[in-house]
Amino acid sequence: MNKIKIAPSTKTGSSHWLMQRFSAIALVPLTIWLCFSFIEILQDPQGYLPVFFAYPFNAMMGILLITTSLYHGSIGMRVIIEDYITNSFKIYFYIMLVNFTSILTGVASVIAILRLHLLG
Amino acid sequence: MTKKKNQKNDLNPNRPTSPHLQIYRWNLSSLTSIFHRLTGVALYFSVIAISWFIIFYSTKINVGETETCDCLMMTVMRTIFILAAIAITFSLYYHFCNGIRHLFWDIGKGFEIKTANRNAVIVILSALALTIASIAIVVYLKLF
Repeated sequence: MNKIKIAPSTKTGSSHWLMQRFSAIALVPLTIWLCFSFIEILQDPQGYLPVFFAYPFNAMMGILLITTSLYHGSIGMRVIIEDYITNSFKIYFYIMLVNFTSILTGVASVIAILRLHLLG
Repeated sequence: MTKKKNQKNDLNPNRPTSPHLQIYRWNLSSLTSIFHRLTGVALYFSVIAISWFIIFYSTKINVGETETCDCLMMTVMRTIFILAAIAITFSLYYHFCNGIRHLFWDIGKGFEIKTANRNAVIVILSALALTIASIAIVVYLKLF
């Protein structure tokens, strides 16, 4: 029995499993909004995109979509990293990389959308 | 004793990684499952790319002049990224449909092999149909 080596666990599995499902449910209406708003944007990308985020509803949905999808995606990437990488040091390194990238992108894009909202 | 062993970083290299890709015969459910992961990873990177496009775009805009985007990004997007856009669209629809299938599995429905296989076919076909419909809308309205 001593020869069994336990797979490295990052100890937060059950809460992440639940949050993955919650964010998935939240992403369903946000994705439908994205599909319809893309039709609006693509009709005149250069002219309409500055106006698009000027509407409070669009700015709100955009911020929610980007933050929720980055959250959902970073949990998913974490699961994939835990599944396919066997070195626990590398696991923590890649999880940290994914989290830092997601948070950086999320904060920067929230600021960008707010800027577009206030200027448009 | 066991604690000491757990402190080693490298695990047994012969230990197979969890979702085995090579050793099982392919069937519909494993195919949809691994494709769900692949499209998920693709969507993660494309969300980051699109976010950075918005960030880049927001720095180009000033109060008086809204038409500053004669920019490189637009022409690049028009010419090169159309294929990538189609791939992302398909990934999004596939991940969306299959994600709903996974949510139904999570509440404990649709586990019978017949139902699961039929739903897999429905998911693939509806993702393809939605992609073709989106391309048709874009072409019909001459959006590009």
